Order: sequence, then structure tokens, then C-alpha cells
Amino acid sequence: MTLLSVVLLPLIGALLVPLLARARSPLIPAIASGIVTLAALSLLLLQAPTVLSGELITSEWAWIPSIGLSIAFRLDALALFFATLITGMGLLIILYAHFYFAGKPGAGRFYALMLAFMGAMLGIVTSENLLFMLIFWEMTSLVSFVLIGFHSDQRPARRGARMTLVITGGGGLALMAGIVLMGSIVGSFNLTDILAAGDELRAHAHYPLILTLVLLGAMTKSAQFPFHLWLPNAMTAPTPVSAYLHSATMVKAGIFLLARLHPALADTDAWLYSVSTVGMATLLTGAFIAMFKHDTKELLAYSTVSHLGLITLLMGLGTATALVAGLFHLLNHALFKAPLFMMAGAVEKATGTRDMRRINGLWRHMPLLTIMSAITAASMAGLPLFNGYLSKKMFFIESLDANVISPLNWLTPVLAAIAGLFSAAYSFRIFHNVFFNGQPRELPVWPPRKPALGIQLPIILLAAGCLFVGWQAEGIVHGLIRAMATASSGVKAPAYDMGQLHHVGPAFYMSLAALIGGLILYALRERLFELYDQLPPADAREIFEWLMTRAGNGAERFVHALENGSVQRYIALIILTAIIMAGPVLANVVWYGAKPMTPADPLTILGAILMMATAFGVVLGHRNRLFALLLLGSAGLFVTLTFARFSAPDLALTQLSVEVIAVIIMMLALSFLPQTTPVESSRLRRSRDSIIAVLGGLGTGLVSFAIMTRPQDSISDFFLEQSVPGGGGSNVVNVILVDFRGFDTLGEITVLGIAAVAVFALTRNLQLKHRIPNERDQYWASNPHPLILRTMARPILPIALMVSAYIFLRGHNMPGGGFIAGLITVVALSLQYMAGGLAWAHDRMLTSFRPLIGGGILLACLTGLGSLFMGLEFLTSWFGHYELPVLGHIELATALLFDLGVFTTVVGATMLILANLGKLMTVNGPGEEIG
Amino acid sequence: MEMPLWLDAIVAALILAGALVATIGSLGLARMPDFYMRLHGPTKASTLGVGATLVGSMLWFSTAQGSVSVQEILITVFLFATAPVSAHMMGRAALHRRVGCQEKTNGQPWDEMDRLSGRAAQSSSSGESQR
Repeated sequence: MTLLSVVLLPLIGALLVPLLARARSPLIPAIASGIVTLAALSLLLLQAPTVLSGELITSEWAWIPSIGLSIAFRLDALALFFATLITGMGLLIILYAHFYFAGKPGAGRFYALMLAFMGAMLGIVTSENLLFMLIFWEMTSLVSFVLIGFHSDQRPARRGARMTLVITGGGGLALMAGIVLMGSIVGSFNLTDILAAGDELRAHAHYPLILTLVLLGAMTKSAQFPFHLWLPNAMTAPTPVSAYLHSATMVKAGIFLLARLHPALADTDAWLYSVSTVGMATLLTGAFIAMFKHDTKELLAYSTVSHLGLITLLMGLGTATALVAGLFHLLNHALFKAPLFMMAGAVEKATGTRDMRRINGLWRHMPLLTIMSAITAASMAGLPLFNGYLSKKMFFIESLDANVISPLNWLTPVLAAIAGLFSAAYSFRIFHNVFFNGQPRELPVWPPRKPALGIQLPIILLAAGCLFVGWQAEGIVHGLIRAMATASSGVKAPAYDMGQLHHVGPAFYMSLAALIGGLILYALRERLFELYDQLPPADAREIFEWLMTRAGNGAERFVHALENGSVQRYIALIILTAIIMAGPVLANVVWYGAKPMTPADPLTILGAILMMATAFGVVLGHRNRLFALLLLGSAGLFVTLTFARFSAPDLALTQLSVEVIAVIIMMLALSFLPQTTPVESSRLRRSRDSIIAVLGGLGTGLVSFAIMTRPQDSISDFFLEQSVPGGGGSNVVNVILVDFRGFDTLGEITVLGIAAVAVFALTRNLQLKHRIPNERDQYWASNPHPLILRTMARPILPIALMVSAYIFLRGHNMPGGGFIAGLITVVALSLQYMAGGLAWAHDRMLTSFRPLIGGGILLACLTGLGSLFMGLEFLTSWFGHYELPVLGHIELATALLFDLGVFTTVVGATMLILANLGKLMTVNGPGEEIG
Repeated sequence: MEMPLWLDAIVAALILAGALVATIGSLGLARMPDFYMRLHGPTKASTLGVGATLVGSMLWFSTAQGSVSVQEILITVFLFATAPVSAHMMGRAALHRRVGCQEKTNGQPWDEMDRLSGRAAQSSSSGESQR
């Protein structure tokens, strides 16, 4: 329960904070977000003693057991550390953001997104069920997309956000595939089971595939080479976002995943080579490029890439000590990188730029920030006594021990030292260039504004953290990091020998060489920049954009080639597919089953012949549209008669009303088209189409014949038996509609509502050619609403409504129901339109059809939900029989309420379509919006 | 309830009469030379023909069930109210679209229409001169 509230607190906060954003003081949303974060943090810290003693806290609620998805949380030392990092850092970022956004709009939106992101990250690190974790994983991708594109009016922000989403979202898909594979092998998605099944997974034939997919997910999220591109491009985000997402949290999610799945997937050659090679490549690339970036945030971004590579490399080595070193460096990286980002943001606010060629010598203007940045930059460079020094030295020791490819073992420490050298150089650069290095040049804001103390407070706290970790390293490594390594690897991690960190050995000389080399490199920077500028320019962003455009254009071309807007083609494709897929199978089926045929009487045969004749007539006469429509209508009437003949009064009633309304609507639509269709397609094409049509029709007919002549056990016996005891009604058709198959009906009325709203949207601003009043309209027959019709239509309305109410009420036991009653009401109302005209009818009726549709669907849903509250399945109907004083025996069923929802939706949807099509026909053109 | 013979005979006569009118109406619809004449057939069939059948049905069911059968009354009322209106509308539509008629029709509608349209043209021109 605690874990659930830890994750839910920020998510609920994210929903509530926007409500506070309108408050007069900008402090209120900040304080609210802070309180939420603090609450989550305290809940976590309360669990700390239990968790650090090695206990595992889990809780689980079933969600969709059939696919193995459950709401399951686990808290061990690894999860606790990450969760504390996420909430603790979140708290500092909220403090920082309050000053960063001071006086700017959008702070409320920012807090909401921050909290949503925090909740998602907490979900990732505390999930026990991997499918459940995936939800949060995707959520971080989505929220970070919005956060990076926070300034959505700027093009680079949008492009950066899109790039992030494409890369991390794509990785998320790969991860999902990997997790599904793992789950299907292990038989459970719960981490406890998956971690215990490590041997089984590693021995499985699909192991390389799983490893690739999971690594793709982790590497894209943690910006590993070659997916690191998105991170520098995400620097268009506001600085608090960069400091939070791109130094402390989101980019660590991939590393968390590596640590989390360590017992399940690690300890193989494939893991060692792939993970450590990627890590090393990332480490070197990031460190090298960072040195040459002139933008403070870009430099920090590439430096983050390189540090992530370092941690990944350590994860790849996979020994217990490497895990300790990696996790320790992860803590240190968050402690020194976040304040540096914050510094970059504060300096940008003060000076208006992030270009280090212009920002120089700020120490006079902001001495406090200078000192704090000195501490954090020294930690990043790996100066002795600072925390960064310790973890970097651990890394050097591990690189010396690494046994990657035996003849090339010397390569790892050499490359590690080179990376260390570059990392020292760019650390010197960002500190020296910003705060010293002569005088500022042409700053957009001069003199630099003094940064508020509030914006520096989080930086001070984090710098103090750097010093504290450096000072108390032994206690932290033994107390916290060791517990984390144990939780991550699944076996008790051996005590880390802290003594070797103070030992003067090869690792010490590597650190020394890196520092001195870094200093020299920095001293030579001007010449290096010149050399770097001579390198061929390779703008990854442009390449990515080019790829995206190509992919987009290709997809568009493909879609257009397939979907060219021709309805004929779609239908032909569908029928052809059916013929090709089913034809060969059906060709071998015996078409005539064993069931005897119903004897045919002459009347039925005559009806069938007439129905066929009308159908042929439609095909032959389809060029004359009105004629074809009338024949179509008569075909529908024959279908109605067929239903009546075979004792299906419900179907007959429905078919009749549908037929009437369909013909009216089609007539309205046809009046906008020419009376006849010209011949548009070639003879060849027409013969091709007729062959397809004949084949499709013959196939459907034969299949129906084959099925109906076979004896079968259908579900209809069950429905007939259960109709009265189970559904409380003797009209089986209606009981099926509102009870047995109520869910289908709910879906159908929803579709109907959507279709009606689509018609509304299509015709809303449609300006058809103005209908010119016909010359002949001046004749005496011109009155479009003749008196006789108008007079007769009025008394018919109440009679029809009474019939409709009668049909509706008796629906449960006799032919009728909500659908038919709705259609009858619509027919009666549309008669009023025809008799009196649109304006006349609208003066006399309520026209809020869209609320009617929504209300109907809502009523049907609520009726269904009501049964949930009674502890029954969704949409179970309830009924009872009562004796009332005057009315006598009466049956009440919740199905009636559901049917009322159906009725309302049908009336609303059909009237919306009718009224809006009719509106287009008025001589004066479309008037006000209807519905 | 046992049906007396005279009642049976009345019911039979009514139904036969209805069927006869319906047949004649259908024949008229098929055989008459122009639209306006053809309109006569189905209107008689839907009022007189169906009406007679309904009265027969009402008599029979009322006797058989021992209570007055309301449904037929309702249908009859509905039919007598709506069928003439639809025939009227069809006639108007035909006039409006100037559907042709037999040469020998007395008092062809066009004369009347042309007279009225001439008046309409006059009134519109006089409206303009006033402005």
C-alpha cells in the first residue's frame, strides 16, 4: 500500500496542480508540488531501515491475470536508492524551477509534467511486474517528449522532442518485445520469478534475441552510442528539465534496467562484449565531443553521454566490484551533474546566453556560484578528495582487472585513461571558461543579473552532497552501495576494499595522468578548436531529420498507393482477399449439408424472385441514381417481408424503420449530385469488377447455404432457455440485445454516435454551391410545405410517439425495444421537417442532438456500471416483478434503462444526421449550427 | 366463440371486396395512360381496398376474442389520414415538375399555371417599379 501511494502521489499531484496554476501567487503550485514530492520522499525514507537490512517489500493486486499483468510493486535497496534519488532530486528541481520560471508563464504546466514524470520514474523503479513497468517506461518517453518540447513555439524544441520520442519510443517497443519473450519463457512477468530463472533464460535458444531487444531498450533510454544523438538535441528543454531528466533520472532508467535484470541476463560473453563495447564507445565519443562544444548545456549533455557510457561499461564487466563502482558513480554523477546544469541555467538567466566564447570572468559577479561550481566541476574532473575522484578511481581499477579479449587487455585501461583525460579537460573548460578566462564579451544582458539565492540553494545543497560523499565514502559504499549491489546481482556482494583507493598504484598513476593530460589539453584548447573545425561537419540532427522526412514520405507514398481514396478499390481489395484466402479451402467443401430443406411455398418463391429482380435492377439501373435508390428501397421491403414470413417480427420492424430512414437520408444526399452517373470506367475494368462481384456473391451465398444445410449446435437454444430466468424477458431478441450481448449493443450505439458526430463535423462548415431558386418555383405548386401535409403531420406526431412509447415499453417481452422505438420517433420527427420545413420544426423542438447522443451512451454505460456496484459482471441486468395499486402487475428491469440509452442515442444520432444534411438543402445556404 | 354464418358471410364479402379493389387498383396503376390517371389506382386500393379488408378483420377478431379489436381501428384511422395526403403530395410534385398528361384531359393544369405565372411575373415587375 505504501508503494502504491508513493507512485500515485505524484501522479495525482500532476492532475491537481494545474487547477492551482490559476492561483494569484506562483508560489502556490510550487509549494503544492513540493509537498507532494516531500510526502513521497518521506514515505520512502520510512521504509529505508527495513529495506537496507536486506528485506524485500512487495505488494501485488491482480489487474489482467490472463496476460500476466498485475499491479505489483517491490522495494529493495536498488529500487529504494533510485526512488530516493528521483524524489529527492525532484524536490530540489521544484525549488530551482520556482526561481527559474519566476515571472514566466507555464510554470503550472511545468510542475504538473514534472510530477507526472516523477510518478512514472518511480513506477519504473518500484515495479515488480515487468509488463506493469513497461507502462511507466512508455509514460516517461511521452512525458519527456512534452517536457523537451516545452517551448512548443520554437522549431528546435519540437525537433529535439520528436527525435527523443522516436529514439526512446522505438527502444521501448524493442524492450516490450524482449520482456514478452522473457515472460513467455519463464511463465511469469514478475521480477522475482524472472530473476530466479536466470539460468533457464541464458540457456534458452532465444537468449541472444532477448538480450538484443532488452539492450536496445536500455541503450536508447540511456543515450548510448549510437543512440546518444537525442540527448544533446534535447537540450532545447528548459534547464530544470535538463537537470532532472537528462542528468539524474530518465537517462538512468536504462542503467537501472541493466542493474535490475543483471541476475537474469548477465554473466555471459554476449553480455560482456555487447554492453562493455557499447559503454566504451559511448564513453569515448561523449568525452571527445564534449570538449569541443561551446554551448554550456551541450557540453554537459555530451559529458552526460560519456558518464553514462562509463557506468554502462562497468555494468557490462559485471563483476561484483564493477557493479559497486558503477552504482557509486551513478550516485556521484547525479550529485555533480545536476548542479552543473543548474549553474548553466542560472548563468543563462543572468547573462542571456550559453555560449562559452562570450561568457567569461563571471566570478566577480557571482562569487558564491563560482565556489559551488568549483566543487562540482572538480568532482566531475575527478580531483582527489572529491566523490568523483573515488568512483573514477574505482573505474580505473576495474579497467585494469577487466578481461575482455585476452591479448588486448591493455586496451581497456588505456582507453579508460584517454576518456578520463578528456573528461578532466572539459570539466576544467566549463568551470574556467564561465567564471574566469578574461572578461565577458558582448553579453546580451549587461551587467549580468545577480542570481537569486533561491536558485543557488539547490546547487549549494548538491555541492555539499558531493563533499559529504567524498568525506564519508567508506560508510556510503559499505552501507548503501553494497546493499544495492546485492539487490542488483542477487548474491551478497563482498565488502569493497576501500583501501585500494588510497593505495599508490597503477590506478593512481592513471588518475594523475588523466588530470595532468586534461590540464595540458585544456591549455592547448585554441589550437584544438581550430583542428576540430577542420573536421568534416557531420550534423547528426540534419541526418536524422533527413531520415525522418524520407521515412515519412515513403510511408505516405505507400499509403497513397494502397489507399487512393477509391471506395471501389477498397471493396474490391477486401472481396479479393476473401476470395483468395477462403476460396481454395471452400472449393473442397461439400456444399450441400445433411439437413432437410424447408418446403418452399409459392408466395415465398415469388417474393424471393422479386427481391432478386430488384437487386438486379439496382445493378443495371445504377446510373440513374433515384431509380436505383427506389429499387434498393423495395429490395429492403422484400427483406422486411421475408423477416415477417419467417416469424422475426423484431427484425421486420427494425428493417422497415431503417429502410424508411435510409431512403430519406440517401435522398437528401442524392439531391446534391447529378441525377445520372456518367460512365467513368473502361469496359475492361467493368468486366473485371463484375467478375469479382459475382465470385464474391456466389461464395457468400454458397457458404451460407453450406452452413444452413448442416445440423449444428448453436447457442440459440441457450438463449431460448435462459431468456426468461436469466434476462427477465420473453422477447429473446430484445433480451439478447440488452442483456446477453449488451456489450455488443453498447459498442454499436457508440459507433452510431461517432458516425453521426462525424457527419456533423463534415457538414459543419460545408459551403455547397448556392442553390438557385428554380424558375418554376414561382408556379402555384411551388409552396414546398403544402397545407394538407402540414395539417396532417401535426396530429400524426403524438400518435406516432405513443406507438413508439408502446413499442419501447413492451420491448422486453414482445416485439419491440429501444432501437425500433427510436427509429419510429425519428420517422415521426422527420415528417415534421418535411411538412413544415427546417426552420419551422426547429422553432418547435429542442435540437441539442449531440448531448442526446452522449447522454444515451452515458446512460447505457452507467446502467452497466451499476451492476458492477452490485457485485455482478458488467451489464448484468436485474429485474423484479411488482404489484402496483392501479397499474396492476408490472415488471421492472434495469435492461429498460439500458434500452432507454439505446433509444436516446438512436434518436440523437439519426436526427443529427438528418438535420445537418437537411440544413445544406435550404435555399439560403447553411444557417446556424444544428445539434 | 362459434361464428354465425351470416357474420362469416359478411367478413368474407368484405375481404373479397377489399381484394377486388386492390386488384383493380393495381391494374389501374399498370394500365392507365398518364401519371395523373395512374395515381387513382393505388389511392383507392390503399383506402377502400385495405379499409374493407381491415373492417373484415376487425369483425372477425372482435367476435373470436369477444372484445373490440382496437388495432384495426387504429390502422384504419392512420391509413385514412395518411394515404390521401401522400397521393396529394405526389400529385403536387408531378404538377411541379410538369409531368405531361393526356391530350384529351379536360382543363389541362398548364392553362391555370401559365395564367398564375403571368400574374407572378407582373407582380414582381410592379414590385421593382415601386422601389
